[in-house]
Amino acid sequence: MIVTYGLTKRYGRTMAVDDLSFTVTPGVVTGFLGPNGSGKSTTMRMIMGLDMPDAGTATVNGLAFDELRWPLREVGALLDAKAFHPGRTARDHLRWLAQTNDIPVARIDEVLDIVGLTSVAGKRAGKFSLGMGQRLGIASALLGDPGVLLFDEPVNGLDPEGIRWVRHLLRDLAAEGRTVLVSSHLISEMALTAERLVVIGRGTLIAETSVEEFTARHQAETIRVVTPTPQLMVSALSRAGVRPSVAEDGTIVVEGVPSARVGELAAQAALTLHELTPQRASLEDAFMELTSEAVEYRSHDGAERAPVAIH
Amino acid sequence: MTIALTGPSTPTATAGPARAGFRQAVAAEWTKLFTLRSTKWILAITAVGTLLVTFLSAQSTTHKSHMWYQGFDPTNQSLAGLSIGALSLGTLGVLIISGEYSTGTIRSSLAALGRRDSLFMAKLAVLSAVTLVLGEVLSFGAFFLGQAILSGGGAPTASLGQPGVLRAVVLTGAFLSLFSLLGFGLGLMIRHTAGALATFAGVTLLAPILLKTIGGHPVRFTPAGIFANSVAAVVPQSDQLSATIGFMLMVLYCTGVLVAGSVLLAKRDA
Repeated sequence: MIVTYGLTKRYGRTMAVDDLSFTVTPGVVTGFLGPNGSGKSTTMRMIMGLDMPDAGTATVNGLAFDELRWPLREVGALLDAKAFHPGRTARDHLRWLAQTNDIPVARIDEVLDIVGLTSVAGKRAGKFSLGMGQRLGIASALLGDPGVLLFDEPVNGLDPEGIRWVRHLLRDLAAEGRTVLVSSHLISEMALTAERLVVIGRGTLIAETSVEEFTARHQAETIRVVTPTPQLMVSALSRAGVRPSVAEDGTIVVEGVPSARVGELAAQAALTLHELTPQRASLEDAFMELTSEAVEYRSHDGAERAPVAIH
Repeated sequence: MTIALTGPSTPTATAGPARAGFRQAVAAEWTKLFTLRSTKWILAITAVGTLLVTFLSAQSTTHKSHMWYQGFDPTNQSLAGLSIGALSLGTLGVLIISGEYSTGTIRSSLAALGRRDSLFMAKLAVLSAVTLVLGEVLSFGAFFLGQAILSGGGAPTASLGQPGVLRAVVLTGAFLSLFSLLGFGLGLMIRHTAGALATFAGVTLLAPILLKTIGGHPVRFTPAGIFANSVAAVVPQSDQLSATIGFMLMVLYCTGVLVAGSVLLAKRDA
């Protein structure tokens, strides 16, 4: 469980993170979304005790990072590619990490196997490709078998097969009951991986919700209608209480009505349809709109939700 | 998919007093130091360079006239080669911390150890131990090599039983360790490899040259001055600091940078 409360960080005059409060619960993958520069990495670094907040707290399993007795066994993180020395072999890197937390040597081979680096374990990490470096970082995060995991842009540099592998890995880890926080600016990938979302923009919280609800709310479905008699179609729709918009070329766009209904209305008015296509606005567009406005948004039905109890 | 670990992997509330602390950090730092090729190179160059310079400089003072040997200090002469260690082990001290920042390893290190002072103390312990052992081995080695060459070349020699000789050899070896700690402290403060090395070189190599022009012999207060003239000499000249005072002064310098460095490590963003 990760809880941040009023987390604030300033760099000179810029507010990188501004009074950020959210909770990440175990058992689900939580996506941490925001455009570049929105404060995701800074927030994760503060959770991991790497940066000091100017105000507020961030706790892992109820404790500040420096209070953890066995940090690697409680929380593992992949914060950026290549947090290791290029002159050291992958195995040696994991070896010293394991020693810091009395992690048994056998575990090193286990995590190398999980990420698929067993064959290159003796290679110096500087020779690794970006994807291999990511995998080593993931191996380091998993080394202590922690209950809390943070991943900052884990699919950077991975090929499609690697991206799928990470997606399944994250879902498996969450299914085992772990707390998994993944940050990304690729919302389409996030929609496939995560179940909950924390969206930030310019350092402030914009949304804390489930992926299902986010998609339902922001992926407005529209119907595209092409007919040789657009004006008649518009009249038929207006009579049924629908307000369509018409483009210059006669294409009609209808919102808020199932395509079946549009078809029936056309049939009742004996009109010919050339095209009747449901369309979804892209998630990216919805996300861009949401984060550019930086609107405060919480809860399932627009009503203010009580703050999450912190225990 | 992942096999749960046995051992204190359960939440901290149920764990005993054990934690990822000094002992674990020292083991990790030892591994970190000796799994890098650069460490082995630095230690090798230090050893080989020291003995080589000892050999050559001792050779060059053999077969001289009796007049030439007036005021000759055989101990000081045979320890001259250890100056190489001052620079190379100082570099090791810088790299042991600046290398972490330049490669990003510092993030892994701090994520593994909940407390930053564990990292500082562990690096300090490992660096001190390694450089102290190497320093003493080389100091005694250079001394014996130097005396052997001097005696074979008709020059005056010294023996460990003579007053001040053993002290000079022991303190000179330990002084190399202090150079590495100076580098470590500077590395902690500056974090940048190039900047820290340049500062270290400036303090050790440049300062004596620049200060030579100022009256009052300020060179005797510089690490290099203390090293060559106070600590490595059996009887320091009258205008130099005594061996004990000089050594304590260097310890003071090192303590200063180490304290500043550890405070910065604790307070700054990684």
